[in-house]
Amino acid sequence: MNIKQLVSILAIGLVITSCENDDNTPVLPMGDYADGILVSNEGPFNNGTGTVSFISNDLETAEQAIYNQVNNEDLGNIVQSIGFTESNAYVVANNSNTITVVDRFTFEKIAVISTGLNNPRYFVSENGKGYVTNWGDTSDETDDFVAIIDLTDNTVESTISVDFGPEEIVNYADNIYVAHQGGFGQNNKVSVIDTNANEVSTTIVVGDVPAALQLDAANNLWVLSSGKPSFSGEETAGSLSRINTASNEVDVTIDFATTEHPNHLSYDGTSLYYSLNGDIYAIGTSATELPTDKIFEGIGTYAMTIHEGKFYATDAKDFASNGSLSVFDLNSKEELNTVAVGIIPGGIYFN
Amino acid sequence: MTKYILLILYSLFVLEGVVAQQDSVIVLQEVILSDSKLQQFSNGLSLTKLSDSIVRRNKGMLTDNLQFVSPIYFKQNGYGMVSSASFRGTSAQQTAVVWNGININSQLTGQTDFNSLMPQNLDGVTIRSGGGSTQYGTGAIGGSIHLNQNLIFDKLNENQLNLGYGSFNTSTLFFKSSIGSSDYSLNIGLGHFSSSNDYKYLGTERKNENGAFSNQNLDIAFGWRLNNANFIKLFHNTFIGDRDFSATLTAPSNDNYRDLNSRSLVEWAHVKTKTTQKVKVAYLTERYRYYQNKASSEFSFGKSKSTLINYDYLYRTNKWKLNGILEANTVRAEGSSIEKETRNRLATILLLSHSVLESFSYGIEIRKDWVNDYKSPLVFALNVMAAPVEDYAVNLNVSTNFRIPTFNDLYWKGAGASGNFELVPESSAQAGIDQSFSFSDLFNISLNGFYITTKDLIQWRPNESGNWTPINIQNVHQYGFEFNTRLYQNFQNSSWRWNNGYAFTKAIDNESDNQLLYVPLHKLTSNLSFKYFRFGTFIQGLYNGEVFTTTDNSQRLEGYLVLNIGVTYSLPKWNDIEIETELKLNNVVNENYQNVAFRPMPNRNIHLNLNFKF
Repeated sequence: MNIKQLVSILAIGLVITSCENDDNTPVLPMGDYADGILVSNEGPFNNGTGTVSFISNDLETAEQAIYNQVNNEDLGNIVQSIGFTESNAYVVANNSNTITVVDRFTFEKIAVISTGLNNPRYFVSENGKGYVTNWGDTSDETDDFVAIIDLTDNTVESTISVDFGPEEIVNYADNIYVAHQGGFGQNNKVSVIDTNANEVSTTIVVGDVPAALQLDAANNLWVLSSGKPSFSGEETAGSLSRINTASNEVDVTIDFATTEHPNHLSYDGTSLYYSLNGDIYAIGTSATELPTDKIFEGIGTYAMTIHEGKFYATDAKDFASNGSLSVFDLNSKEELNTVAVGIIPGGIYFN
Repeated sequence: MTKYILLILYSLFVLEGVVAQQDSVIVLQEVILSDSKLQQFSNGLSLTKLSDSIVRRNKGMLTDNLQFVSPIYFKQNGYGMVSSASFRGTSAQQTAVVWNGININSQLTGQTDFNSLMPQNLDGVTIRSGGGSTQYGTGAIGGSIHLNQNLIFDKLNENQLNLGYGSFNTSTLFFKSSIGSSDYSLNIGLGHFSSSNDYKYLGTERKNENGAFSNQNLDIAFGWRLNNANFIKLFHNTFIGDRDFSATLTAPSNDNYRDLNSRSLVEWAHVKTKTTQKVKVAYLTERYRYYQNKASSEFSFGKSKSTLINYDYLYRTNKWKLNGILEANTVRAEGSSIEKETRNRLATILLLSHSVLESFSYGIEIRKDWVNDYKSPLVFALNVMAAPVEDYAVNLNVSTNFRIPTFNDLYWKGAGASGNFELVPESSAQAGIDQSFSFSDLFNISLNGFYITTKDLIQWRPNESGNWTPINIQNVHQYGFEFNTRLYQNFQNSSWRWNNGYAFTKAIDNESDNQLLYVPLHKLTSNLSFKYFRFGTFIQGLYNGEVFTTTDNSQRLEGYLVLNIGVTYSLPKWNDIEIETELKLNNVVNENYQNVAFRPMPNRNIHLNLNFKF
């Protein structure tokens, strides 16, 4: 979540922040982040830097702030997400308006993209270009855009104006799909950008506040919408929609109860997993009704994902201290390990 | 409870048989001091008064005044930006700022921005260490800062003009005019403080971007003596701030913040030999506009209006003082994310002070508030002062205190966050012991120890659906001590003084046992000045120990030492005008420091000031 706004909420004075990393975690031999898990940590809001943690696949070792360790500089304020190409990682710092391009396996800096971005959120590459969702000015709903990155010289080569609040982004078949969660407001669209023409080809209406996107094995795009929250004054139900990527139309919609606001969407090859009120549920891709059985109960999921039979979830704790990554076996539901990561761990990726 | 009051009344009226002779000093206090309670009902607590000369020496905002002379830790989001205090390891909302006897902490945020107060034209600033909720209400947990304007009914016509200019295009102007007669007293003060504030970030090629500010201030104090028993007093303050909010080391900024605060107070005092009655009416407003992009006309805002009526009855004899206060207060607040809300509060306060002997006195205080939107606790204080030998005094105090949920805490709606109607006030209990020793007129030391425990601290956390909301979640305790020495000596043509303060503060989260965020274990201040004939020189030192910046104490900010030096020269009087010049070098050793992480503070800078008295 972008938290700049909270600064003004909490008085423009409340200070929850942090600085020099002073961790005593064991340091791995520098430069090899090829086999393991990357966790992006937003870092303290208001001021400070986000970081990236590396955890070995056997969950035995963790190294914190790897970009800082390798390059001796900071990534920037609110590290929102990381996008990847085959060789590079693109670390998006929301409040700093930068993307730091690094070798995804050594984390050595290649470039910093610092012009042409405004509140960048998520990165995906398709058809030889990078695509980055940008909120623009958060108080202006008409200046939101997707920036197109030239991946050879790491500059913003052009922009595509889109509907407000573009958030998660997914690529498929020369198209990219942008979920318009709505920034600080609420929106209800997914736009489709044709990467050959670099323009919005279709806009699809989905449930309110589309928070997560997931492609399934049949190349359907699933959209989890959280629904409008109660404080908006017009609370609406969350919903799960399926977009047929051939026709780019919604062909299945499953609604939650009005006061239910699900979040996160992961896929293990057969089922989709989402979180609701701190519990995790699984739903098959051919289901027509919501499940009632919980897969996991009461675990913090500031971020969650599934990878090779394991369920990964991060806990941001009090948002002013180091968070943790917990890993569970999806079959046995057994917790395999919990390791410390950085402050407000918001993204889980696999190298 | 009722029994308790009756007991006090009984002991007062029955045990006190002798009619006291008029204590003209006290009557005078009632007349001159805007907050006479601060003197009369603070036995058992440590009061530190910054004289007006010390206040005027610092040309910046209240933060600059207090950080070099007090144990209070200040967190500034870059120089001149929002500044919040941590007093005895408590939070910014647990330090009350009291203007002429009235609590002026923000209704929206619960705290005071110490960079939105200009004390230069006030008659001193007093730091009251320890709990004060019985008298000052919400937030007086760690201690309170008192800003007072006094009225002198005497033939007077005095003007002071202070002009300053220095590094980073910083300019200051302070003007104060005091006129008076035996029946009238009027003080008017104007203040201006602005700066481009584009100081260098030491160790980098960068400057403090988007940090410019311009602040204006107006103070008025007016007194009218109708006759020997009746006085009308009027106080007013307006502050207008226009600040860009500094970038940080990791994020740019184009924010701008404008605030306008005004405080007005009218008081009628009826003073007789044994009684003083006061009726006060106060009207306080605050409003801010926050521009996330200053090039755009879009802004978010918040404002509040508070009206207060206070009736105060004091009965005194030469040994007893009994003070009953009834206060009604209504606050209306609204903002971009707060729908119009109203809070009504009724407070009853009973203060008792008994001087058993000249060297032994005690005080008992109780207070109960009734508020429409939360339940306020009954609080009490017990203070004892003893001076068993001439050069030694010991004060003991025990009190319970509170800090109320703010309008933001209760009523915020929107932008991924919402307030919580279920909040209860943070409640606290504490004990302190203050001792002072005077070795001679020239040298005295004091040692204050304290213990504070607070439960139900309000913190904003995201709930399960990711919506941020405040909850009563944290329990903490603080303990520590403050050690002060004061040494001065006057000779025929010269004088010197040397004041030192050291504070040790443990502030612990009960659950994790970790030190709280931004509370240094050690803080040291030292001020040495020397005067010879027309020349003067001074040096100020401030050491803040390391602070933790994460709640698990995994990350920290290093401690730092800042030194300022200055020279002064008083020119011979010219046409009845006294002129003093002052040249001051701040951060003389170019310490690279931050008191909020990622927000560097200024490098070495120089300021020239001219002070005219006529």
